Amino acid sequence: EDAERINSADVAVVEERRRLLEEWLAWRAAMEEELAEEREILGLPSDPVAELLNAKTAQLAPDGEEKIIE
Amino acid sequence: MRPILLAGHERALTQIKYNPDGDLIFSTAKDQQICVWFAHNGERLGTYHGHQGAIWTVDVDPTSTIIASGSADNTIRLWDIKTGKCLKTWDFPTAVKRVEFNEDGTKLLGVTEKRMGHLGTIVVLDIKVDVEAEQSDEKALTIVCDESKATVAGWSYCSKYIIAGHEDGSVSQYDAKTGDLLMNFPIHELNMAITDLQWSQDRTYFITASKDKTAKLITAKDLEVLKTYVSDTSLNSATITPKKDFVILGGGQAAMDVTRTSARQGKFEARFYHKIFEDEIGRVRGHFGPLNTVAADPTGKGYASGGEDGYVRVHQFDKGYFDFMYEVERERQNRLAAQQQQQQQQITA
Repeated sequence: EDAERINSADVAVVEERRRLLEEWLAWRAAMEEELAEEREILGLPSDPVAELLNAKTAQLAPDGEEKIIE
Repeated sequence: MRPILLAGHERALTQIKYNPDGDLIFSTAKDQQICVWFAHNGERLGTYHGHQGAIWTVDVDPTSTIIASGSADNTIRLWDIKTGKCLKTWDFPTAVKRVEFNEDGTKLLGVTEKRMGHLGTIVVLDIKVDVEAEQSDEKALTIVCDESKATVAGWSYCSKYIIAGHEDGSVSQYDAKTGDLLMNFPIHELNMAITDLQWSQDRTYFITASKDKTAKLITAKDLEVLKTYVSDTSLNSATITPKKDFVILGGGQAAMDVTRTSARQGKFEARFYHKIFEDEIGRVRGHFGPLNTVAADPTGKGYASGGEDGYVRVHQFDKGYFDFMYEVERERQNRLAAQQQQQQQQITA
């Protein structure tokens, strides 16, 4: 009987975590979609930091590709 | 987790910041110098000299070209990371407690201290991320905090909102273009100051740390509290780890605030919580005083903490950290892997 009670308590904890995980993932998916739309409307890059780093790399080594071939 | 001890500061640490690549760590302390370190080996790359008072805050632009700092000498300064040269100084009537660049580095906010005759403010400066450029003297915007002074502030996604944490425990959302106050909610316990505010990578949500012994995960759009992390000590800092769904909290009471040695033990630890389930999952010891600042490596490889003891401790996560998963997380991962396998089989068939 004790084992059963502990077991059902464990099940309840796991069920609750499953719910929390689903809830979190659903919120992230909705927020990410909304953010992507908003960035597109504003004409902003999807990843601002990556965009800036690429621009800086290109500026520092405009002939970077040729160097790699060598 | 093997830590690297960064010894170089002579006084209490105030803020630690990684650059976006996670290879450099910037640190400020009450000793009037900013340090920059290599994250992988803890070697000190250089220092930035010029401030005439304790330095409260530092931030690095997204391209790791310049840093900004705020100090008790009532200035914000801009520095060339490579040469260590001070590029610009802005003067204010009071100390500057927090600076932060927006997502593209074109704007910098500064939180100024409240003092007799001066209300606390949040100022916005236009920045040119170019070490040769002439920086503007003019403030682009000034937000006056007449209710309760701001202690921390930052820029949301798309530089749409400025979010501030206040001395009275409330959180505000301002329109970043006009400076209009859009919302203010009593998020933490009344008159328990908010001590830190750090962003998720996409800046859609953030974590606050408070003297009320809790940290909270809050949405930038609605200031909705998503999660609460309850600890047993006053908190000075909180950070969100990328890659894994954890948050790290730092705090602790100063020795003079506690009477018994036993009460002090176990208080100077970085605490790990599961971001989604809110459970405490581990602690990391090391500092000999309260943790004033914690920062997560943006690449997810580790974290750093700065203490009242004057040390920075850098930790690289080991395999156990990355492998750690709750049953329901593993369940989901297995389900996704199975789905992927099925799809691949369908393609090959």
